[in-house]
Amino acid sequence: MQVTRRAWGPIALLAGACVAGAPRGAAADTADPATFSTLFRLFTDSENVTVRSAVGDYVWPIRSGVNLDVHWNNERVAIPGISAPPGSQEAVDAITTASRPIAGNPYQEYVKVRNEMQGDLSLPHGSASYYLSREVDYVAHQVGGNVHRDFDDQQLDVSVGSSVGWDDIMPLANGTEQVTGGTKTTLHWNAVATRVLSPSTMLRWGVEYNVVNGMQNNPYREVYAGGAYEPERLPDHRERRDTFLRLNQYLPNRSSLKFNYRLYNDDWGITSHELGSSLSQYVTHGVSATYEYRYYTQTHATFYSNDYVDETGIDGYLTGDYRLNDLSSHLFGASLRLDFQQLAAAHRWLGRSEVWLNAQRYFNSNNYSANILETGLDFHFQ
Amino acid sequence: MSPRVRRIVRNALALALLGLASLLAPGCATTHAYQREHLADPIMSFDAEARGNARMMKMLEAREGSTGGIGGAGGGCACK
Repeated sequence: MQVTRRAWGPIALLAGACVAGAPRGAAADTADPATFSTLFRLFTDSENVTVRSAVGDYVWPIRSGVNLDVHWNNERVAIPGISAPPGSQEAVDAITTASRPIAGNPYQEYVKVRNEMQGDLSLPHGSASYYLSREVDYVAHQVGGNVHRDFDDQQLDVSVGSSVGWDDIMPLANGTEQVTGGTKTTLHWNAVATRVLSPSTMLRWGVEYNVVNGMQNNPYREVYAGGAYEPERLPDHRERRDTFLRLNQYLPNRSSLKFNYRLYNDDWGITSHELGSSLSQYVTHGVSATYEYRYYTQTHATFYSNDYVDETGIDGYLTGDYRLNDLSSHLFGASLRLDFQQLAAAHRWLGRSEVWLNAQRYFNSNNYSANILETGLDFHFQ
Repeated sequence: MSPRVRRIVRNALALALLGLASLLAPGCATTHAYQREHLADPIMSFDAEARGNARMMKMLEAREGSTGGIGGAGGGCACK
C-alpha cells in the first residue's frame, strides 16, 4: 500500500498543475480547447478475475500545435481464491501453479492495485513521452519519442519512433518460499506511414521491432514436469517484430468501414495473424454507433509443451503459460457515442461534453472468455 | 532457413511491398485540403482511436502471445 501512496504524489501534482493552468491554456492562441476525459472500465472473465479501472486524461494545449497530455489510471485487480476443497489434489495443483502469490490464505481473494501515469508532450513534428506503472511487486518505466514529417503535398505522413522501457520485478513471498525477482528492459522501434488515397480513403502501414532482455517468466508460476513442480523457465532474450496495415473508407451514408491486418513473429517461434474490421455509423445528428469484430490466431513457442517428460523441459525451458501455446480468439464489440456539442450545443455544460459506452465480448480456444464494459465522458473547456 | 520461416519472411515481404507500393506511389490525383471533409470526420480518424487501441493492446497482451499493431510499445506488466 505504501507503493500505491507514493504513486499518487506526482499524479496529484501534475493533475493540479494542469487544472491550475487550464484557463490560461484555454485562453491562449490555440486551435484546440483543453479537454478532460474520464473513463470507467470493468473487466470480468471466466476465471472470475475482475479488473476495475478508473482513468483520467487531461490534454492541455500550451500553444498552437503544442499539447501536454497527462494520463493516469488507478486499477484494482481481484484474483479469486482457490475453489477446490482444502487438501485435495486439485487444490494442491491450483495452489502450486497459481499465477499469484500464495501468501496467507490461498482460499481468499487476492487483490492488488496498480497505478499508472503517462505524460506526452506533442509538438508540430514530434512527441516525447514518459510512462510509469507501479504495483506492489512490479514497477515499469518507459521513455519514448517520435518525429514525423509530411510529404507529397500532405498526402503522406511518415513517422519514426523509439522507446526504452525498464521494469523491476519484486515478487512477494510465495507461501514459505522466497521467490527471486529480476529486471527486464525493452527496446522498441517503429516506422509508420499514413497516406491519403482519395477524398474518402486513408491507408496506414507500419513496422515495429522490439528487443526484450531480462526476466520474462512469471515468478509465481510453477510447471508440472516429470512428476514434480519446477519454477517456470523462459529465455531471457526475445526479439519481436510485426507489420500492420489499416484501411479506413468513408461511405456515402455517413458511415465508415475500417479494416486492419497484422502479421507478428518472434524468435520464440510464435507467428500470429490478426484481422479486424469495424463499421461506424451516424445514427442521427451527434449520435454514432460502432460495431467491431476481430479474429486472431497464433502458433506455439518452440519450447511449449502440455506434457514435459522431465525437469529439463525443451531446450532447458519450461512454461505453463497458455499464451505460448497454439491459440485463436474472437472479439465482438459495440459502442455508442453521444456528442452533446451537436445535440445540445446551446447548453452551457452539456454543450461541451461527449459521452460514450462500449461493450466487448472476448473468447479464445482455451475455453477462456471475458466481458469488457467501458463508459467515458469527455469535457472540452472551450 | 526452415520452410516455415521462409514462408513467414515471404508473407512479410509481400505485405511490406504492398504497403510501400500503396503509400509511396503518387495517387492519380491530389486530394486537396478542401476535399478532406470526410477524412477529418471523427469516425474516419486513426488518432481518435489511439487511446482505445492502447487499452485494447494491453488487455490482449495479457491473454495472447503477440504484441504491436499500434505504432508504439506498451508498458507495464500484464496485470494478471
